[in-house]
Amino acid sequence: MRNLMQFIGSDQAPSCLTRRQILFGVGSVTATAWASTPDPSQAQKETVLKFGLTPVFLSNDLDLLAALRSYLEEATGQKVQLIQRRTYQEITSLLIFGQLHAAWICGFPYIVNRQQLSLLAVPLWRGKPQYQAYLITSQSRRAKNIDDLKGDIHAFSDPDSNSGYLVTSALLAERGLKPAAFFSRTFFTYGHRNVVRAVAAGLAQSGSVDGYVWDVMRELEPALTSRTKVIRRSEWLGFPPIATSRSMANDPQVQDLGRAFLQMSGNEKGRKVLRLLRLDGFGLSPNMTYPKIARKVALVRGLE
Amino acid sequence: MKRAAFFPSTWPITLKAPLIVALFMIVTSGLISSQVLNRLISTQEKHLEELSGAYLDGLSSSIIPHVLREDVWEVFDALERTRRRYSGLTPVETIVLNAQGRVLAASDPQTYPTSSTLTTDHRASLFIAQMGKIVIAPEKARAYVLRELSYQNRVIGRIYTLLDISKLLSERRSVFLTLIWTNVLLTLLLGAGGYFAIRHIVAPVATLDHYLGRGLQGTVERIPDNLLGKSHSEFGRLFRRYNKMVAAVNERQDLASQLAREEKLAVLGRLTSGIAHEINNPLGGMLNAVDSMRRHGARADVRVTSLSLLERGLHGIRDVVRAALASYRRQDNGRHLRPSDLDDLRLLIQPTLRRKPLEIEWSNQLETNRIYGTPADRVRQIVLNLLLNACAAAASNGRVSFLANSSNSALNLVVRNDGKSLPKNYREFLETPKASLVPPNENGGLGLWMIRRLADEVGASLIVRCPDEGGTEISITIPLCQVEQRHAA
Repeated sequence: MRNLMQFIGSDQAPSCLTRRQILFGVGSVTATAWASTPDPSQAQKETVLKFGLTPVFLSNDLDLLAALRSYLEEATGQKVQLIQRRTYQEITSLLIFGQLHAAWICGFPYIVNRQQLSLLAVPLWRGKPQYQAYLITSQSRRAKNIDDLKGDIHAFSDPDSNSGYLVTSALLAERGLKPAAFFSRTFFTYGHRNVVRAVAAGLAQSGSVDGYVWDVMRELEPALTSRTKVIRRSEWLGFPPIATSRSMANDPQVQDLGRAFLQMSGNEKGRKVLRLLRLDGFGLSPNMTYPKIARKVALVRGLE
Repeated sequence: MKRAAFFPSTWPITLKAPLIVALFMIVTSGLISSQVLNRLISTQEKHLEELSGAYLDGLSSSIIPHVLREDVWEVFDALERTRRRYSGLTPVETIVLNAQGRVLAASDPQTYPTSSTLTTDHRASLFIAQMGKIVIAPEKARAYVLRELSYQNRVIGRIYTLLDISKLLSERRSVFLTLIWTNVLLTLLLGAGGYFAIRHIVAPVATLDHYLGRGLQGTVERIPDNLLGKSHSEFGRLFRRYNKMVAAVNERQDLASQLAREEKLAVLGRLTSGIAHEINNPLGGMLNAVDSMRRHGARADVRVTSLSLLERGLHGIRDVVRAALASYRRQDNGRHLRPSDLDDLRLLIQPTLRRKPLEIEWSNQLETNRIYGTPADRVRQIVLNLLLNACAAAASNGRVSFLANSSNSALNLVVRNDGKSLPKNYREFLETPKASLVPPNENGGLGLWMIRRLADEVGASLIVRCPDEGGTEISITIPLCQVEQRHAA
């Protein structure tokens, strides 16, 4: 399986962190200016539903993508276009600016941009809308906790990923440490599968990865995951949600899209998609506020 | 004989020709195989260089942006993807260094960790690579390639790549073995084919060799008609010419034999006339003595003188007749020589000696009672002819000498004359065994020819000396065989 998101052009030279700050600032200003008016975006008038996918998704599986699009088209009665980008930031930006009807994003960018975003559905994994973040290292290594990873070359998945960056940064922040000081070197792989690859190959001595992705990979690619091991599982955190721009939340097409996810388990095609995703279904609760992730964001930002 | 077999010059042509062909085949195939292999190696290396160049071109262009940003993951991912993509190339290791010479990413991060510098061991194996040129190490089945990463005319990093060339080497070995086996097979096949072909071609030569060999042994035979082959073929023409030559030789041999018989008759005639002369000489005196006795027989002194004269004359006649009888005694089926056989010859040549006149020095040192293991008639013929030739060549009032002695294994005879020396061609003729089947000179030399023929029959060797003061000395050595010594009467 290949992570297609790796092949999306990454020719922007400036660092992701600086760019994120700029985009957040611009996004905030624009969102405020446009908040009170219905979004006259092109997406509203278009007949194609644009759904964004981030590296949280196992988007290297073309069969899965085809099955998902097929289901969504049938469920919504409209053409669906799956939009993939290399980074969480790009998808989040497209979503906020109304270039996408909805997207499967991570809890971290949702929390950071919750004023501009609205939840449509949350995946249910093992019966719960929750997952864990894993710290992994090489199978042959004797490390047992994060303290044993000091000085490592560490692989993160995305600077906007909860499990692939935020959880580990928060863990270090509790110790008053930053990743740049704790690890000898860090790099981003822009894909949870890539984090597993990097640790399995020895490119990185340890990595931060989505537990759901690692567990599914253990089933689908045991040869890869067997070269790694989990040395720490985080507390249960809110699963990466399906979100939309707050300005498009009442859009009928967007609502159709939301319903399609919520009703996925009641449809044969939908169940096929769920089987491929190893999910039980999608749900939505008004209480999904991702408080733990929010606390981690505050902790990390407090240290910055 | 066994030692001679190791010398190639003694091998038959049916063996030498195919061996030469095989040798040429081996040399030629060796040269061609070498050229083929060199060409294969050159083509493989060129192909490898092109492939590795394309690999590095693709890799370089895809990772330069990531090297600029020191993006470890993207560089590693590019290495992984390009390694899987090139089926004609087998990159074993690819290491990307940044501008500071530190590892940015490698296909084997365990051996070449990110941010590390290359160790001495690493450098030993990697730094064999040269910029812009592929370095091949067949002993390690590896090829080393080095490429600089440049951006805006600045070096931003380096790529080292180790390629596995075991498939190339395996291909070379396969081609080499195929060439070897093919050449061996072809050489054996062509060698065998050449052997049979040459054997077939030179079979007529063997036939010719057989008949020539028999000719050397004395029997010159023509090649039978069924072996002549086609008249227009080379060997057919050769055989027919050989048969014509055989006919000519046999004709000459017949002629020579006839001449030899006539010579013998001529010699016989000369001897007969000599004997008649020797008998006639005392007859006149004897008849005078008889007449004296008739007239004055009453006188005692006349009777004594006349009887004495008659006795001397009769003795002389008796000796001559006895010698003549001994010379022309029929061959006694290989009767061996006795010393007296030679002494008889002295009597036979007396008329010839008196005619010139010549002095004879006779020395027969053979043991009186011994029988010598050599045919008596042939030796007597040889000596008689030598003496007659010596008398003919000697000057008037000159001297002829004869010496005979022996050892346990050979009989030695020497005939000398003063006066003329034997011409060089006749000397060579006499000294050469089996010199000729025909006399050396149409106008003479029959006696010498007979001497040579008879010498060949008894296995004798002749040596001719011509002293500076003139004359000729002919020495003949006749090998003796063992005989039972009976009393020689």
